[in-house]
Amino acid sequence: MADDLKVAGFKSSELIASLGSAFESYSPAEKTSQIKKTNGVFEIVVKKPQGPSPAAQEATWTIDLKKAGTVIKGKAPPGTKADVTITMDDETFVDLASGKLNGQKAFMTGKLKTKGNIMLATKLDGVLKGTKAKL
Amino acid sequence: MSFQSLISGSECAAPANPLSQVLKHTESDRSIQQDRFSGPSSSRLHRLPGTSSTVATDNDLALARQFFEASPSGPAFVPSAVPELLSHPHYKDAWTAEQQQQMRTFELNKSQSQWAAEFDGGASSRPISLPQQAQMQQNNSAMQQMPSYMPQAGLYGNYMPRNNLYSMGPSMQNYAPMIADKGKGKSREADFEAAFAQATASLTSGIVEVTDIEEALEATTLHNHTTESDSTSVLDHVQKAEANPPADDLEKWATEFQQLMEAQRDELDYGKAMQEAWENGLGSVADSTTSGELPMKFDDVGLPILQPYVFSTDNKYLDPSASVSSPLADAKALLDQNGSLSEASLLLEAAIQKGDLGEGGYEAWILLGETKNMDEHEDAGMRALVEGVKRAEAAGASGAGMMSLAISFTNEAMDRASHVMLLRWLRARFPDFAVSEETANAISSNSSWDTHIKVTDLFLNLARQQHSQGIVDPDVQIGLGVLYYTNGEYALAKDCFESALSQRPRDYLLWNRLGSALSNGNKPEEALGVYREALQLRPTYTRAIYNVGVACLNIGAHKEAAEHFLSALALQEQSSGETSDQLWFTLRRALVSMNRSDLAEQAQGGPKSTLDVFRREGFDF
Repeated sequence: MADDLKVAGFKSSELIASLGSAFESYSPAEKTSQIKKTNGVFEIVVKKPQGPSPAAQEATWTIDLKKAGTVIKGKAPPGTKADVTITMDDETFVDLASGKLNGQKAFMTGKLKTKGNIMLATKLDGVLKGTKAKL
Repeated sequence: MSFQSLISGSECAAPANPLSQVLKHTESDRSIQQDRFSGPSSSRLHRLPGTSSTVATDNDLALARQFFEASPSGPAFVPSAVPELLSHPHYKDAWTAEQQQQMRTFELNKSQSQWAAEFDGGASSRPISLPQQAQMQQNNSAMQQMPSYMPQAGLYGNYMPRNNLYSMGPSMQNYAPMIADKGKGKSREADFEAAFAQATASLTSGIVEVTDIEEALEATTLHNHTTESDSTSVLDHVQKAEANPPADDLEKWATEFQQLMEAQRDELDYGKAMQEAWENGLGSVADSTTSGELPMKFDDVGLPILQPYVFSTDNKYLDPSASVSSPLADAKALLDQNGSLSEASLLLEAAIQKGDLGEGGYEAWILLGETKNMDEHEDAGMRALVEGVKRAEAAGASGAGMMSLAISFTNEAMDRASHVMLLRWLRARFPDFAVSEETANAISSNSSWDTHIKVTDLFLNLARQQHSQGIVDPDVQIGLGVLYYTNGEYALAKDCFESALSQRPRDYLLWNRLGSALSNGNKPEEALGVYREALQLRPTYTRAIYNVGVACLNIGAHKEAAEHFLSALALQEQSSGETSDQLWFTLRRALVSMNRSDLAEQAQGGPKSTLDVFRREGFDF
C-alpha cells in the first residue's frame, strides 16, 4: 500500500513511502496523539529541476495529521484542505528527514518555501524524523 | 555527502536497504569514541572534559596559525575602509565586500580572544569557548553560505526594507547549517580550510549576485523611501559595534522576522481565509471519522492547558491499614536506594492524596512529576510537574521543578512552552539578572523561532557573566543545553551537557540528557556508551533503557531494540504501576521493522501476560 506513494526518480519518495507505512502501523491511540500534537495537513511539493520532462520535475504528497492520519500521493483529497504547502528540492527533503537540516534553517536559507500557515511548517521535521531519544 | 543521503535514508525508514545500516556504522567518526568512550572505564569517562580540551587546543593552535597567516591585515582594515566605502558610488558592491571582510575580522577577533582564554584557562574556559567554537565553525559555513544566500534574499524582498539584508548577514552565523559536527579535530580543520577557500573564491561572484538582487528589490519593494538613510546608519553601526554585532542585529532581525511572519499571514486574502476557516470548521464537525480529541490548547503566556493529574485507581499504599510512616519519606528512601520507579510513584501519589505534600506543598508533586518522567510516562509527569510548579511559585520557591517541566515540554515538541518555562526559571533563580521588558513581553506573543533567539541570548549572557567571575554553573549550562537541543542544535547541546557533567559526574539525569543529545545528533554508538553510564548509576532508569532501545533502532539493531523495550516493560510490570504507552508504541515500531507485524499486533499494552509471548518468540529479556 505504501508503494503507491512512490514516484520514480525522487529520493524523497522512499522516505515518504516509509513514513506512510509507519503511519499505517500506528495504533489508534498513537495516531490520536500524533494528530493532537501536530494538528495540520501538509502538502509537500518536491521539485527536481534536473528531471527529463516537466512532469518528472515535480511530485506532490499530502500528509494529513489533522483528521485521518495518513499519507497520500497528490494534493489533498476533497473534504480536506492543506493548511500549509511546502515546496522544496529533493535534496532538501532528504536532509530534513535525516536530521541534517532543521525546518528553521531550511527556511532561513531559502531552501524551503511555504504558503499558508508557516508555523505549521516548523512542525514538519518532527513529523519526518522517526523515533527520537528523550531528554 | 549526497551519496550518503541517498543511501542512509530517514531514521524511520524500514530497513529495506541493509547497506544503509552498514554505512551508518562506517560513517561515524570514532575519534571521539576512542578519546573518551571506548571501553567501560568510567574514570576515563569522568575525565572526559579534560581529555578533549587538550586535543582541541592542539588543533586550535594549528588553526590559529593558519588564520593569522591568512589575513595579516586583520582588524585594522575595517575602520579605515568604511568611510571610503560610504562615498563610493556603488556602495552596494563595496558594502557586501566590506560585510564579508567584517565577518572575517569579527571571527578573527573572536578567535584571538577565545584561544588566548584557552591557553590561560584550560578547563574553566572550555564550557563557554566550546559553544563559541562551534559557532565559529558556523561562521565559516556562513561565509561560504553568504554568497549563495544573497540571491535567496529575493524571497523576502517584498517585505523587508533593504537595510535588513545586512542585519540578516551576521546573524546567519547562528543559523547556517552545521557542517562537520562529528569529531572535534580533523574534520573541523578540513572544513575550515574548505569553507575559507570557497568563500574567497566566490567573493566576486557574490557581489555580482547582490547587485542583481538590489535591482530586483527596487522593482518590488514597498519600503523604498526608507532605504537610503537606514543604510548609512547601518554602516555606522558596523563601524562602531565590532565586539558584539550579532546581539543587536539578532534583535533587529527577530523583529523583522516577526513582521515577515505577520505580513505573510496578512497577505492571504481575508475573504478566502474566512472561507477556509469555515470549511475546516464544518469539516471537522461533519466528519464522523475524527478521533474525537481536540488539538492542544495554549494559554496566553504560551503554556499548554492540560487536564489535571489522574491518580492510579488501584494504589495499595492508599489502604489506611498500611504502614503509619510517611509515604513521602518511603518514596524518597526508595528513590535513594535505586528502587523501582513505579513503586516510588505510587507511594508519592498516596502521599499527595493523604495530604503529605512535603516542603511548601509542592515537593511531592514535583518529585512525582520527575519520577513519572524517569519512568517514561511523559504525559502524567508533565501534569504533575505543572501542578508542582504552580504551587512552588505560590510558595516563592526559586524555580523548583521548572527545569524539569521545560524539558518535559521539549520532549513533547512544545518548543515555545519550553522557552517560557526556561525564562521563568532564569528569572526565579537569578532575580538580579536584567531581563528587558521587551523580551519579557515578546516571549508570550512571538513565534517559537523568535523566543528561541531571545531566551538563548539571555542564557548566553548569563553564562558569559558567570564565566567572567570564574563560575561554571551547571544549571545554567543545562538550561542552555536544553535550548540548543530544542532547536535541533545537538552538538552545541552536547557541549553544554558535558560541561555540566564535569561539575556533577554522578547525575544520572545529566548522563541521559547527554546521551539523547548524541543520539538525536546522529551519533548512536556514542550515545549508547553514555546511556550505560546513566544506567550504572541508576539501573531502574526506564527512560534511559527506552533511549538505549531507540539508539539501537537507529543503528538498525531492531531485535536488540525490541529486547530493550521489552525489558523496560517487564520492569514496569513487576511493580504495581501501569506500563508506559510510549514503550509499547516504539516496541511496535521495532517489531514492524523486523517484519513481524504479527507480533506488533500483540504489542498493545493489554493484560499482563502478553510479555511472555515475546519470550517464547526468542526475545531475550
